[in-house]
Amino acid sequence: MPLVDIEGRRLKVSNLDKVLYPAAGFTKAHVIDYYARVGRWMVPHLKDRPLTLKRYPDGVDAGSFFEKNAPSHAPEWVQTARVEGSTSATDFVLANDLPTLVWAANLAALELHPSLSRAPEMERPTMMVFDLDPGAPATLLECCQVAVVLRGMFEALKLESFAKTSGGKGLQIYVPLNTASVTYEDTKGFSREVAQLLEKQIPDLVVSNMKKELRVGKVLVDWSQNDEKKTTVAVYSLRARERPTASAPVSWGEVEAALKARRPERLVFEAAQVLERVEREGDLFAPTLKLRQKLPGLATGRA
Amino acid sequence: MAPRPIWSGSISFGLVNVPVKLLTAVRHKEVHFNLLHKKDGARIQLKRFCSAEDKEVPYEDTDKGYEVSPGRYVALDRKELEKLDPKASRSIEITDFVDLEDIDPIFYEATYHLVPDRGADKAYGLLFRALEQSQRVGIAKMVMRTKQYLCAVRPLERGLVLSTMLYADEIVPEDDVEGLPERMPKAAERELAMARQLIDSLSVKFDPAKYQDDYREKVLELIDKKAKGEEIRFAPAAREAKVVNLMDALRKSLAQAQRGEGGAPHEAGGKRAARERPAARERRRRPAKAKAKAKRSKA
Repeated sequence: MPLVDIEGRRLKVSNLDKVLYPAAGFTKAHVIDYYARVGRWMVPHLKDRPLTLKRYPDGVDAGSFFEKNAPSHAPEWVQTARVEGSTSATDFVLANDLPTLVWAANLAALELHPSLSRAPEMERPTMMVFDLDPGAPATLLECCQVAVVLRGMFEALKLESFAKTSGGKGLQIYVPLNTASVTYEDTKGFSREVAQLLEKQIPDLVVSNMKKELRVGKVLVDWSQNDEKKTTVAVYSLRARERPTASAPVSWGEVEAALKARRPERLVFEAAQVLERVEREGDLFAPTLKLRQKLPGLATGRA
Repeated sequence: MAPRPIWSGSISFGLVNVPVKLLTAVRHKEVHFNLLHKKDGARIQLKRFCSAEDKEVPYEDTDKGYEVSPGRYVALDRKELEKLDPKASRSIEITDFVDLEDIDPIFYEATYHLVPDRGADKAYGLLFRALEQSQRVGIAKMVMRTKQYLCAVRPLERGLVLSTMLYADEIVPEDDVEGLPERMPKAAERELAMARQLIDSLSVKFDPAKYQDDYREKVLELIDKKAKGEEIRFAPAAREAKVVNLMDALRKSLAQAQRGEGGAPHEAGGKRAARERPAARERRRRPAKAKAKAKRSKA
């Protein structure tokens, strides 16, 4: 098995020729190469976040499984964080450095799903997220419409928000918080109010209920990921779709331009394009790491 | 201040008819607060808002809705309901007499004094004495403000009182309560004897005047202090509410989208380029700025 040396860590990589995205001929070597190159921008976003690995050992057309516990064969330098659950504790991997990211890539962990908290402060989300998921025949375009309305709402509330593609059909809007006292109760309550208000006011475009049959032709504004036990796909993570697309940060200008031109495909980026973009433009998601914003109290009439 | 009658009619049982007035027997002394806005001390108003149209709705334009399943309502207008109102009768009709001890206190709701109406002293006296001597309580039905009440009529020291009572099906039966012991555990003889001894040593005659609402006293004391000092909030004249809430934020956002500054939710694309505003162009320059910033942070 080939040995690679990354930042002083020696790592065995295997089955490099195995095709993981058959429709694109994208192999495990490509996957490892992508994560090795994007890691420089991606690791700061993953730092200290308990990570769930979604592994596709035989590629995207075969089965997958979620791995929450760090596998027993993990090298000793892979950092973990113990998170107590209601029945048992889980030792999550923390992708705190490039070698760990490459090690995960070698496990065919195509998708990386981090927590919204950084260990050990698991009760405190560092951001609030809205996952916009279109139900056919709605597409990424309808997601852009909803995203722009959301952005405007946050602007009116003096909050800056950031968009990334899900890497699939949707968009995800992040509101960085990075403040001390915020809890999931706060972000969940706030995001639910927002989603329900949108559903009430633009009912032909938005649903806030998870039920699939309600989603036809509309966009689900999923607020429920603002939960200690939930994860949202990481920025720059590959997705296990037909082509090797990734969750890519996009500027609001790009969202508006795609909407205006009615060209949703402009917001679909594959691994190579994501690398090209980030190398050219830097990390559009960097402000989410530091920006400190306070969630305002809600004047909803409820006590 | 002497309470004023809230109802008048007559007590009837058999052939006896006693005209009476009902006076409230309870003064609720809970300290009552008004809600003020923290920031400016203005009174908070409650308004009837239509959740669909987001505007205030006058009382006349409202129906009563009964939620049959989540989100599904059967609406009834007031006229329909009025037809079902019990006939406003002017009578407290005693049908049964029972022992006071047979009524568990759980059934009692509110208590009123019954005062004889003009010329009814004699009949009133008769009912009072008869109840007193037989040690019984009259069970009656009466209608007050469109609601039919079950009530108990009994003699107090100088007159009769009427207590409205809950209907049996309004009481939560113990069987519906979770967490009660399945079987009451046996107590050890010695422990039981000790507990009973303690109870005996603390046993007194019930004197309601002995117990006060400490919390209310403290609150009133605080209010008194603040009223004497300078920390009183004087309510400014009511103004339009200016809390930034989600609805306002959404309205702004939708208006902005409709002006074509961000892509209208319902008419995206197409003709809007023609009425594009400078603000929209300004916004589009953003990615360039973000780009520059990102490059700086990389260095």
